[in-house]
Amino acid sequence: MSDEIIKEEVSGKDRRSFLNLSIFISFAVAIGGVLYPIAKYLLPTDSTKGTEGGETFFISTDDVPVGSAKLVRYKNRPTIVVRLKENEVYALSAVCTHLGCIVKWHEDAKELLCPCHAARFDLYGNVLGGPAPKPLPTYKAAVEEDRILIREA
Amino acid sequence: MNELRLGPILIRNRFLISIYNFVENRLGIKEILDLEVFYKLAPSYLGIFSCFGGITFFMFTLQVVTGILLLVYYIPTTAQAYDSVVHITNNVPFGWLIRGIHHWGANIMIITVFIHMGKIYFHGIYKNPRELNWVTGIVLLTCTLSFSFTGYLLPWTQLSYWATVVGTEIPSAMPVIGDYIKIFLRGGADVSQITLTRFFAVHIMVLPAAVIMFIVLHIIMIRRQGISGPL
Repeated sequence: MSDEIIKEEVSGKDRRSFLNLSIFISFAVAIGGVLYPIAKYLLPTDSTKGTEGGETFFISTDDVPVGSAKLVRYKNRPTIVVRLKENEVYALSAVCTHLGCIVKWHEDAKELLCPCHAARFDLYGNVLGGPAPKPLPTYKAAVEEDRILIREA
Repeated sequence: MNELRLGPILIRNRFLISIYNFVENRLGIKEILDLEVFYKLAPSYLGIFSCFGGITFFMFTLQVVTGILLLVYYIPTTAQAYDSVVHITNNVPFGWLIRGIHHWGANIMIITVFIHMGKIYFHGIYKNPRELNWVTGIVLLTCTLSFSFTGYLLPWTQLSYWATVVGTEIPSAMPVIGDYIKIFLRGGADVSQITLTRFFAVHIMVLPAAVIMFIVLHIIMIRRQGISGPL
C-alpha cells in the first residue's frame, strides 16, 4: 500500500503536482493580464501618435465643390476645409475657441459661424464678432491636381 | 545540495538553489537572509484594521507604476497638458485604464491612509515607545496630501486651475510671510506655466523620493519594535 503511494509521487501525477501546475497557470494568467495592457499601452501605433507629427493629409477635390466646405479629421481634430474658388482653399480648426462647438461655413456671408453662441471668424481664423477669445488655428491648404493637400501652417 | 534552509523556509527547487549558490559564493548573503527580522510572523490577534498600512503601501506602489506609465505620454506645458491627458484617455490603448487606476488609486489611498491613522490613534498605538513612528507617519500623511494637491493641477483643467488658485491663495492670509509663501508656491504672482512646472517636479520627483525614504524608516521601526499588543 505505502509502496504504491511512493510510486505515484515519483511519476509526478499526484495531487500535489496537479495543484502546483494549477497555481503556476493562475499566476501566469494574472501576470499576463497585467503585462498585456502595459505592453499595448507602450507600443506605438497610429492612435498613440496623436496630434503630433507633421504628416500631410489630402482629400479629393470632388468632395469639396467650389463655394462649399467639408468637415474632416486632420491630426485627430475636427478641421474645416473651405473651397472659395477653383484653386483657392482654406483649412482651419473647426473647434470654436469659445466653448468648443463645431463652426459652420456660411457661403453668403463668406465667414465661419459658430452655431452655439454666434462667434464669427474669417477664413484666416480671425475673430469677426461674438464671444470667441482667440482666433481659430489655421493650416496650410493647396490644390494639387485633383487633391486638396493640408499640412501644418 | 538538494535543499536550502533560510530561517523557517525550506527551498527544494534546484533552479532557485543554483541562483542562490551563484550569489552566495560571490557576495555571502546567508548572514543577511538568515536575520530573524525577515521571518517574523504577524500575531494572530490582528484584525482587518491592522491591514490598512499595508494596503496604503500597496496603493502607493500602484501609483508609482501607473504614474511612470502616464509620464510616457503626458506633456507638462499649459498648451498641451490637457490635450495630452485627453489623448491618453481616448487614443492610447488602455490609456483610460492606466489613468483610471491612477485617479481612483489616489482617491482610495487617501481613504486607506486615514483609516490607518484612525486605527493607530484610537488604539493609542502612537504612545511610548512608538512616538517616532507616529512622527514619520505624519510626514507621510503630509506627503500624501501634497501628492493630491500637486497631482490635481497636472491635467490643467478649469477645475484644477481654480483649485490651485484657491489653494495657493490660502497661505497668503497669514500676516507678513503669507504673500511670500503664495509667490513661492506659484513661482510668480499668478498660477502659470511656472506653477505647472514646479508642481510637476514636486509631484514626480520630490514627493516620491521623500515618501520612499520615510516608508523605509516607518517599516524599519515597525520591525524593530514589533506590532503593538491587542487592546
